[in-house]
Amino acid sequence: MYKKNIGLKLTTIILGSLLAINVAAQNWNIPADQSAKNSSFPFNASTAKEGEAIFTKNCVSCHGNPGKGNSLKSLSPIPPDLAGAVTQHRTDGDIFYIISTGRVIMPSFKDVLTDQDRWKVISYIRSFNKDYVQVLSKFDSGKSKLVKITMEFDAKTNQIKVLVKANETTGVVSLKNDEVELFAKRYFGKLQIDKTNRTDANGLVVFSFPKDLPGDKNGNVDLIVSVNDDSYGEVQYQKVFKVGVPTNKPSLTEKRAIWNVLAKAPVWLILTYLFCVFLVLSVFGYIVYNLFKLNKSSDIKNLKS
Amino acid sequence: MSEKEDKPKNKTRREFLQELGYVGIGAVIGGSAIFAGINYDKRKRQIDRIKVLTAENELIEIDRKDAGKVVKSKQEVLTYLQKEGREGIVGKRWVMVIDLSRCRNARKCMSSCQSAHHLRPEQSHITTLKMQESLDTPPYYMPKQCQHCDNPPCVAVCPVDATFKRPDGIVLIDNERCIGCRFCIAACPYSARYFNWSKPLHEQEDKDLTYNVELNVPQRKGTITKCLFSADRVREGKLPYCVGACPNGVFYFGDENEDAVTNGTTKETVRFKKLLEDNGGYRLMAELGTNPRVYYLPPKGKSYPFQDKDREEAEEHLKG
Repeated sequence: MYKKNIGLKLTTIILGSLLAINVAAQNWNIPADQSAKNSSFPFNASTAKEGEAIFTKNCVSCHGNPGKGNSLKSLSPIPPDLAGAVTQHRTDGDIFYIISTGRVIMPSFKDVLTDQDRWKVISYIRSFNKDYVQVLSKFDSGKSKLVKITMEFDAKTNQIKVLVKANETTGVVSLKNDEVELFAKRYFGKLQIDKTNRTDANGLVVFSFPKDLPGDKNGNVDLIVSVNDDSYGEVQYQKVFKVGVPTNKPSLTEKRAIWNVLAKAPVWLILTYLFCVFLVLSVFGYIVYNLFKLNKSSDIKNLKS
Repeated sequence: MSEKEDKPKNKTRREFLQELGYVGIGAVIGGSAIFAGINYDKRKRQIDRIKVLTAENELIEIDRKDAGKVVKSKQEVLTYLQKEGREGIVGKRWVMVIDLSRCRNARKCMSSCQSAHHLRPEQSHITTLKMQESLDTPPYYMPKQCQHCDNPPCVAVCPVDATFKRPDGIVLIDNERCIGCRFCIAACPYSARYFNWSKPLHEQEDKDLTYNVELNVPQRKGTITKCLFSADRVREGKLPYCVGACPNGVFYFGDENEDAVTNGTTKETVRFKKLLEDNGGYRLMAELGTNPRVYYLPPKGKSYPFQDKDREEAEEHLKG
């Protein structure tokens, strides 16, 4: 009886842990609203082809070609074959979320690929599933023009206040509970300021701005605010604010150094060089002077007289 | 004499009319030919003449065959590229951060660098080294290229000003000036410079290319080649070749003045100082006082295993 119990317990533990591993491996914690997302354009052969080009550039090195089973086996966890059942059983929104956020060793493609590009990759992945029927998003892309964003900087609290409204025909509506991101434009990309916030009931969202962010020589920083609304889509707004630390550092070739160009040579080097030249020239001068003196003193006429 | 004088008198009316007819037909044919000629000329003028806007903002018409495209001569293009290459990008201080915990020796940085700079397969401006300090410490991979020092020993020893440091921090090599003395190879503590011992890979294809000091293409036998921080790409606002090619997010590249670096794989931009602070960033051989512009993050919490085939090699070296 006792032994039997242990056996039962062991099986439960083993089964349980197996299940846990299985769940952990597939546990992307995808929020329900993300999972229900859909593409606003229909998938066809041309979108799949464009998606294939993006896939070859960004995904093939780890996932391999869909259906070929040539994903990189040395990685842990092994990247799944995307034509496989695990991926194909997911909703389009799930795959979109996975590509966007990444997890463990899968990098996030949010800043690499545009929304359109990510949907095109999904279109390519879906082209390996004959039973796939696409559900289109009911989203109306024309509505994004109605969104009005205003941005203000509060110097006292060092905060950026963003107000998001939409000019509907029925009147001005505040966009509630929308994801808003604030970025500072940098040379190679956008630097996120603070964290992603959501608008309150008045469409207001507040970001605390760091005091040490470098701006241009006047302290200007190009700020970009990005709002994502379910019915209005993604809207961006850009404005320059004098919120950064004025930065005007000298160029790296400004200082005098031994490796710099002739005009920027160290003073000690120029002085030493000039001293050496002077030394050599003065030795020459001394010799000439002595020769001249010798010539004068050995003047035969002078001796005879 | 009398005969000649007699001839016109002998001309009958019939003969006169006949001649008149010939002249008439000739005139019609000739006239239409002239008309056709003028017409043709007119049409030709429309095709062969083009309207040109002068520098003084005047619209004039000239013969097409007189018009020539204003093409810069090869020498002019070269002079422009050389000047641009020496000046760099004003107000920038480029930095690179290499996260050793993410490198799994995919070698995509190497191949993209080789194809961009037309290097032979055995040459590379960047290499991924297999590292293991002692038998007790874990092995890891380390990409290593020119460190673009702020106090570059290689530039100090160059006798002909062929290698130089730009105001934006990049150390370049000008093969129009390089005499191949290899002093810089001897001076570099990071072994980051390579000598073109043999003919370049694309010698024939690159024959007509104008030398671009920011790309170091075409390569030239008997001169130095080295990492350029992809100065040509950076000028266009794009990340360097190696940074963009890495599939594992090893490289960050950016401007120190902006305090921001962008990851080549995820394109995520982060604060440069904070990245170094949070991850214990360091520079190679800092004790030499070379002040490199390349920073490393230690291989802490590696996401990728050290491959077994490389493990044996590393241990072999440690035994010896």
